[in-house]
Amino acid sequence: MLSLSAISKRFGSVSAVVDVSLTCAAGQVHGLLGENGAGKSTLMNILFGLVTPDAGSIALAGKSVRVFSPHQAQRLGIAMVHQHFALVPILSVVDNIILALDDKLGFADRAKWSQRLRQRAASLHWDINPQAVVGTLAIGQQQRVEILKALLGLDQASNMGAVAKILILDEPTAVLTEQEVDELLPAIRRLASDGVAVLYISHKLDEVARVCDVVTVLRRGRVVHHGTANTPPAQLAALMIGAAIEKPQRTASPAPDSAMSPVIIKNLCLCATNGRVELDDINLNIRAGEIVAIAGVEGNGQSALVEVLLGQRVPTSGSVHGVGSPTQLGYIPDDRHRDALVLSLSLRDNLVLKQYRSLPFSWHGWLSLRQWTVAAKRLISAYDVRALNVFVPVVTLSGGNQQKAVIARELSSQPSIIIAVNPTRGLDIAAATSVLKRLIAARDAGAAVLLIHHDLDEIMSITDRLLVMHEGQLTDTNWPASNRAQISQLMLGHVAGAAT
Amino acid sequence: MNSHFQSAVVSISVTVVAVGIAMAFVLVVLAMMGHAPTTVMSMWLEGSAGNGTRFAMSLQAAGPLLFTGLAAAVAFRCGVWNIGGEGQFLLGAMTMVACGTVMIPPGPAWCALPIACLLASAVAASWALLATVAERWRGAPIVLSTILLNFIAVAVVGMLVEGPLHDPNTTAPQTASMVEHLRLPILVDGTKLHLGVMVGMLAAIGLFIIARWTMIGFEVRVVGLNARAAAVVGIPVWSRQVLVMAVSGGLAGLGGAMQVSGVSGMLSGTSVSYGYAGIAVAMLGRLHPLGIIAAALFMGMLSTGARHLEGRLGIPRDMGDVVQGVVVIAVLVGSMLATQRFMRPAQEP
Repeated sequence: MLSLSAISKRFGSVSAVVDVSLTCAAGQVHGLLGENGAGKSTLMNILFGLVTPDAGSIALAGKSVRVFSPHQAQRLGIAMVHQHFALVPILSVVDNIILALDDKLGFADRAKWSQRLRQRAASLHWDINPQAVVGTLAIGQQQRVEILKALLGLDQASNMGAVAKILILDEPTAVLTEQEVDELLPAIRRLASDGVAVLYISHKLDEVARVCDVVTVLRRGRVVHHGTANTPPAQLAALMIGAAIEKPQRTASPAPDSAMSPVIIKNLCLCATNGRVELDDINLNIRAGEIVAIAGVEGNGQSALVEVLLGQRVPTSGSVHGVGSPTQLGYIPDDRHRDALVLSLSLRDNLVLKQYRSLPFSWHGWLSLRQWTVAAKRLISAYDVRALNVFVPVVTLSGGNQQKAVIARELSSQPSIIIAVNPTRGLDIAAATSVLKRLIAARDAGAAVLLIHHDLDEIMSITDRLLVMHEGQLTDTNWPASNRAQISQLMLGHVAGAAT
Repeated sequence: MNSHFQSAVVSISVTVVAVGIAMAFVLVVLAMMGHAPTTVMSMWLEGSAGNGTRFAMSLQAAGPLLFTGLAAAVAFRCGVWNIGGEGQFLLGAMTMVACGTVMIPPGPAWCALPIACLLASAVAASWALLATVAERWRGAPIVLSTILLNFIAVAVVGMLVEGPLHDPNTTAPQTASMVEHLRLPILVDGTKLHLGVMVGMLAAIGLFIIARWTMIGFEVRVVGLNARAAAVVGIPVWSRQVLVMAVSGGLAGLGGAMQVSGVSGMLSGTSVSYGYAGIAVAMLGRLHPLGIIAAALFMGMLSTGARHLEGRLGIPRDMGDVVQGVVVIAVLVGSMLATQRFMRPAQEP
């Protein structure tokens, strides 16, 4: 149905995509694997009309086409669900659909669109309320809205004569919980059996094995592998990064020092101004030299806990001991653009942002910029931050390198307490592994590490203790004595006898 | 290439191109009115910088804009949207006039003049801080409260000019003239180019040094670019914003004080709009202290040049304001385009 031939694209001196050819048949789920920067998204943006290729051609059902805008892509029967949703949170589901797809003038027919929406949802065995306000839906539900929006767009296009039905999913599981992933993947299979060609971008090998028929691996903009999805994951991983990677091995912490608890949280409660209980009687000690992980579905109080620990919000009752001034704490926030980086400042300035007050970076209020440059150069080589030089604005770095910069800044001062929230989100395997190794190294050096994370696999690969947060309550899973199923149940609030 | 250098090159070229476009636009309009562009340009240059006296007049016109421009830029750099330069400027001027008429500070000029200037800055800074307090206390957005405070300041100054400060020898709404020893020294004979303009230049250079090489300058910049991240890394955001607001108000007030002390010697209660023009100057100078010196000088040349054009060619002097408006719009659009072009995030997978 779709064939890309010899597509190339350069950005400045960087070759993002080099001579990539790819075909995708109706009814097939085609996995596109690759690290951050491998060119997956650029390739899909070319297909979706967001980026113009330097060379190569796109053919739909044998006919060569030129895609120069997303709008035109949609008319040709190409739809894309981005990692970051394009939904208006204060509008209802059906209004979001109308906003995106109804191009007629005059009054929108809500009933008609609701009907179409329900039908489409039913075909995927989904249940959706067209009147629900998008902002009140869970992330997984919002993603369903996005997918349904894309599908209705394809239906519309095919009614108007489009021959293709291609759905591009850009890392659809990056923001989902495991439960939600388990529900999404069968729906994708169902779509394929309806005759849609699905391009599935991911860097999660197990998902690709579960849902895809064929898989193409990109590395540094080139196709390095094309084959069926039952290629062994280890081989795929090796192809992605070009060398066998070593997953961090969980090593029991050498000696969590019971006498030394840098963080002591006692009977901590927090109520929102509207009376909703956000944190419900949290008790937690984090000892020096251990990693304590909190798993849970997002929005169950994790961010409130972090805000209290950082002193940004005052607890309703209870106490937090140990987390002192922000400069003594290593904090890797969930949203690095919002909470950690000053995007338009240089990489150098961002790297010293926590230390510039002390010698040798400043002296009686005057900045020693030469020292900043020296320190920044040292940090980028020690933490493998890849940038043209330390003077480029940090906004020009890739996500993985931005995260490495944050970690370099936060961990290089060897803080005794580290709070990391989803530290590997959006990173590829190699980058994620290096982040996790850094956390282990910090623990081994005696830091008390609190890891709040969405990825259970990664948690289990490094943590010493595993707790679950649900509706503001913290439950110890007694892991590793408990198993994944029990932990998942706890994350959903089912208190299973075995796990408590 | 050093990013400082690169972004400076980009900003300067964008601004120069934008100014060029704006001038070309106005020249086209004037050409349609029958004035040859070359005549207009040479006449404008002659009127604004044709000889030492004329250039001194342009510098003098640039003086108040330099202060209000710096005031706006200092605040904007920190994300504090102080639109209250107008009121702060007027209150500074009023305080200076009060010092020069009814409450003369003791001592000779070298002692009394600085005291009066300090007092004027302090009054204006306190006025500006009302907006900061209102934000902290009740969440009133500074961008709104400072505008509203302008109206109050204009009314308060008007009241004082017609009341306690009124010149008893006239019925016109104006104050008495200031005593001679509180007037600023004039630098060029036959003009009103006064010491205050030099003080403004020094202030700009001082701010440049602070912004570039001091901790406080760095912190203010970080707060302005990402206040959340600033708080997370331990910068006292609120206290930096208070400081910036005080400096911003103080600069605007000092500008007002310099203007009355150097130029008019009295106050006539009417709004002067230097405060609002200062925002345009700050934008044109790309919020950079040295850029603001250039922008204020350009604006000063626009106004003296426009006056000359009015006298010689009969072109309404409002044309100068038109150029000013078009320039600011062109610079804003140009800088947005440049940001999209040069500060684009990395293409990510």
